[in-house]
Amino acid sequence: MQATQQQTGSYLKDLTRRARTWLMLSAATSSIACILFILQLCALAALVDNLTFKGQPLDTSVTDCIIILALSVSSFIFQWLADMTGKEGGLHISASVQRDALIHLTKAGPAGCAKQPAGQLITTMTEAAEALEPYFSQYIPRAVMMVVLPIVILGIVFHFDIWSFVILACTGPLIPFFMVLVGYSAQSIMDRQWTQLVLMGSSFLDSLRGLMTLRLNGQTTNSITRLERQTEAHRHATFSVMRVAFLTSATLEFFASLSVAMVAVIFGSRLLAGTADFRSAFIVLVLAPEYFIPLRNFSSSYHARQNAMAAAKQLQTLFTLPEYAVARQSASEPVSSAAPVTMLKLNDISASYEKALILKQISAEIRKGQLTAVSGESGSGKTTLLYTLMGFLPLRSGSVAAYDAGGAQHPLTEENIAWVPQRPLMAFGSIADNLRLGAPEATDDDLKNATRQAGIFDFIMTLPEGFNTQAGERGARLSGGQIRRLSLARALLRNPDILCLDEPTANLDPDTADTIIEMLKSCAKTRIVLVATHDQKLISAAQQVLHINENGSLSALTEKAVA
Amino acid sequence: MIPLRRLPSLTKSVRLYMIFGIALACLAALASFGLLFLSGWLLAGAAVAGISGVAAQQAFNILLPATGVRFFAMLRILSRYGEKLITHDGALRVMGQLRSWCYHCLAPQAPAGLHNRRGGDLLSRFVTDTDLIGQHYTSTLLPYIRAVVCGSLFVLIMAIFSPQAALCLATGLLFSGLILPYITGLIADRLAVTLTTLHSQNRTDLADLIAATGEYLAPAATRHLHIQFTEKQLKLNRSHRLMAATESAARGLTTLCTTVTSLAVLLVATNSFHKNYLSLPEVPMLVLGCLTAFDIITPLPAARQLLSRTKLAAQRLYDACMTPPLVAAPIHPVHPDNADFLEISNLSFRYPGSEQWIFRHASLNIQKGERVALIGPSGTGKSSLIQILFRFYPFEAGSCHLGEHDICDMQSETLAEKISVAPQNFHLFNGTVRDNMLLASPQATEADIMQALQTAGLTDWLNNTPHGLETAVGNEGFQISGGQARRLCLAQILLRKTPWLILDEPTEGLDAETEKTVLTNLIQARPDMTLICITHRRSVLPFMTRAIQIRNGQFHPAEEI
Repeated sequence: MQATQQQTGSYLKDLTRRARTWLMLSAATSSIACILFILQLCALAALVDNLTFKGQPLDTSVTDCIIILALSVSSFIFQWLADMTGKEGGLHISASVQRDALIHLTKAGPAGCAKQPAGQLITTMTEAAEALEPYFSQYIPRAVMMVVLPIVILGIVFHFDIWSFVILACTGPLIPFFMVLVGYSAQSIMDRQWTQLVLMGSSFLDSLRGLMTLRLNGQTTNSITRLERQTEAHRHATFSVMRVAFLTSATLEFFASLSVAMVAVIFGSRLLAGTADFRSAFIVLVLAPEYFIPLRNFSSSYHARQNAMAAAKQLQTLFTLPEYAVARQSASEPVSSAAPVTMLKLNDISASYEKALILKQISAEIRKGQLTAVSGESGSGKTTLLYTLMGFLPLRSGSVAAYDAGGAQHPLTEENIAWVPQRPLMAFGSIADNLRLGAPEATDDDLKNATRQAGIFDFIMTLPEGFNTQAGERGARLSGGQIRRLSLARALLRNPDILCLDEPTANLDPDTADTIIEMLKSCAKTRIVLVATHDQKLISAAQQVLHINENGSLSALTEKAVA
Repeated sequence: MIPLRRLPSLTKSVRLYMIFGIALACLAALASFGLLFLSGWLLAGAAVAGISGVAAQQAFNILLPATGVRFFAMLRILSRYGEKLITHDGALRVMGQLRSWCYHCLAPQAPAGLHNRRGGDLLSRFVTDTDLIGQHYTSTLLPYIRAVVCGSLFVLIMAIFSPQAALCLATGLLFSGLILPYITGLIADRLAVTLTTLHSQNRTDLADLIAATGEYLAPAATRHLHIQFTEKQLKLNRSHRLMAATESAARGLTTLCTTVTSLAVLLVATNSFHKNYLSLPEVPMLVLGCLTAFDIITPLPAARQLLSRTKLAAQRLYDACMTPPLVAAPIHPVHPDNADFLEISNLSFRYPGSEQWIFRHASLNIQKGERVALIGPSGTGKSSLIQILFRFYPFEAGSCHLGEHDICDMQSETLAEKISVAPQNFHLFNGTVRDNMLLASPQATEADIMQALQTAGLTDWLNNTPHGLETAVGNEGFQISGGQARRLCLAQILLRKTPWLILDEPTEGLDAETEKTVLTNLIQARPDMTLICITHRRSVLPFMTRAIQIRNGQFHPAEEI
């Protein structure tokens, strides 16, 4: 799924279009600023000539000074505008990428998002999206400047002196040429070692993450030496890459310094011979270093480009997450006034992630009042069946219909179905915040009711701050069973007609599992409850069992008398 | 600024490196100055000679200044290249030392100190912070020292020719080098705090949002979170914009200062020239020198902005590293030679900041050679026992002895020689299978490693992978399956050959068949071991000699065996 260098390059180009106006404005104002700056240098050089060789009296130079100052101030204003428009463009792009990524994640749904760890998604969306900003705000305007400024300076130099024009015109194009030559080898070394460097660079993080394991193994002292060795190796590797990479800028430096020296020395001899005038010589000498500055700026934004390429690659991986989630209508009328759904009818449904069908032509009726379990070997499609009901995965064929007690058909909306995943996440915030994620308007009484139903209310009350207790980073202070129950309470808080749970008793000790099973049985009295499980106890507690074969077809539909 | 100074000082070799780097940077700046200074004089001098007739032309020795110009040009190229290499290398060295120091400080705090602090991924923040401080010497210190050293030299050189021009230059340099960065700094210090807070909020929000997508909460909630996120994003961008605006304005004002100072120098120099204190060629020379002198000031505002972020990073790092560990190391550590029993009596424990007792007057005695299963509802403290034994968290009352000695008198290294632990949330390092095995026991031989892997039931898998022991496990062990990772962790423990073993859910993620094989192998390979197995799987119980249940914060014999 790794994007190639070219794909990433063209992705960056596509992104450029999003802030075209800003970036073009930035390039334009920056060009104006530079032209004003050049004019200012020319005026200053001319004034030097006038005051010395031409013998202009000091008191008549006020106007000249004012002109030079005015040029300098306007150049400053335009440069500031250029920087700000560039920044705006960069920010615009990184913000829009973040928004796109969010929308894409919503479209991918849990089935799609599960293909990448959540931590990685967050890093991609924050760090990677932000790494794009300097690239667009600096690299692109600088690339434009690299073309504009040297041409303007060449034009002026041509006007004053043909010899210097020849020197600059010859060395100018040589620089990109040599930089490409040196740059290519540097680039290929960088590309070859980049992954390795990133890997070595991340060893510190790896060591920090493993600190507890190391302490348990009594290897803390050893690990410090190991860390030192690793950073040393990283330094060596970086150094060997840098040695070549810096050659690029050294080449630039070489031509820049040499050109200035040549202009000075050749002009010097000609001035001595009386074949040139000081004014042109001085103007050219002042302009010559400026001729190379955009090139130097450009090559110094190389890191921004390298970072942006890496970031874009990460973002592309995010955007390859398949868009599995099915767009569902929100209920047109408030849920409370509509008759609740009491029966789900699956008609010959089939579903798949890629090519191979995971579910094959499954038909069943799932009713309120009985706990329904979906069983089967792991990987047979238990979770997939729930995903299709939830709308996390589109149906290949067949249909799912929902009916109320009177037999009228209802559409499945986002409001009437709720989901408890296998590994629920307690986001940062208080327990109440976490519960309200599902129903922002829920009252305190609603919270109490839902947590009572989920059998976690008593536990919350033993906590010093009750519902306001911080759930901790990744719910670290809560045990697996407690998190599971809180997630169930979160789902119940929405009062859904249909409740789907994935492996609700996995990784729980038998006592906790038993209480969860009891809870599910009582929940099933008032709504449709569907659990995917391989827990034998839970399966035997269910009144209806859908067993899915390894090939994805329904092998048995066991129904027991409703007690 | 205080925390930056309190961070460990550089070692001698690195300091030499930095001084050398700074010296090269100054040399490059001087060469640059010399190049234009001399070129200006050369041109004007040649022009004067050119128009003054043949005698003057012949008297003018162009060879010497021309050689000087070429010399300065070459010097600039070489010193810039050297400077870049040396300073980058130096920065990496500083970063390496800083990381070792930071790691050294954080190690005794793990896992308690590295847990549950606000602001997203705490660990990756340590990485960014050390990076930032590592760059401090090259990105902030170097430009400032260069500005002071070279600035003074430039003024001195100017003063030889014209004290008034030197005064103008000094004023210009001081204004743009002190006042502009100072104002930038005032704004940046405030903004850096805002940016850091907003950034960490952004991360937590995003974590919430992705969790919400994963759990498919009410669409209204998701939309609400989306809007919240966009608002925060706008706020963040406002700060970014302000930061850029000040930086750009400061840079622009420096350029403006350059122009004003150059004009002043020109006027002063012309005045001296008219009064015959200066020769004609010296006027353009001084003006050009003044223009180049400001090159050393231009990077200062950006460097000052970086300093604001570095100061925050240093503060954070200092606070984190200087936090004393929850449990202090014993003053007179003991080295027990026997570990015949584990005796826990009257133990009371709760996590810091929590009211809920995990253990309350709990007592337990385990004799050498026993195989004990520890069972009980989730959240009752089965795993907490490991944290208490290894002194990651302090207990409030009671005592805990291994053999004759109180565990409070033992260092965790000493304890680790007697007890091996396979925790539930074990960590595999980004390396090969062999690397990970050697990390657990650096002295292990090839045969030992193979033996341990055999017992853990990994031999078949390793024989069938192309790289065998050299198979990469990937970041956090993601490149191998969960079951393989768990068994690899078990193999690590076996390699250490300690008399006591504590396994936390060792067979999680294994199917019934594999579970049975692994446990049989384990008992066969180490019949003498004392084993504590924390589990909720009943299928483990037949392999144990005794089962203990944790109920209401106490140990009870379980009826099931």
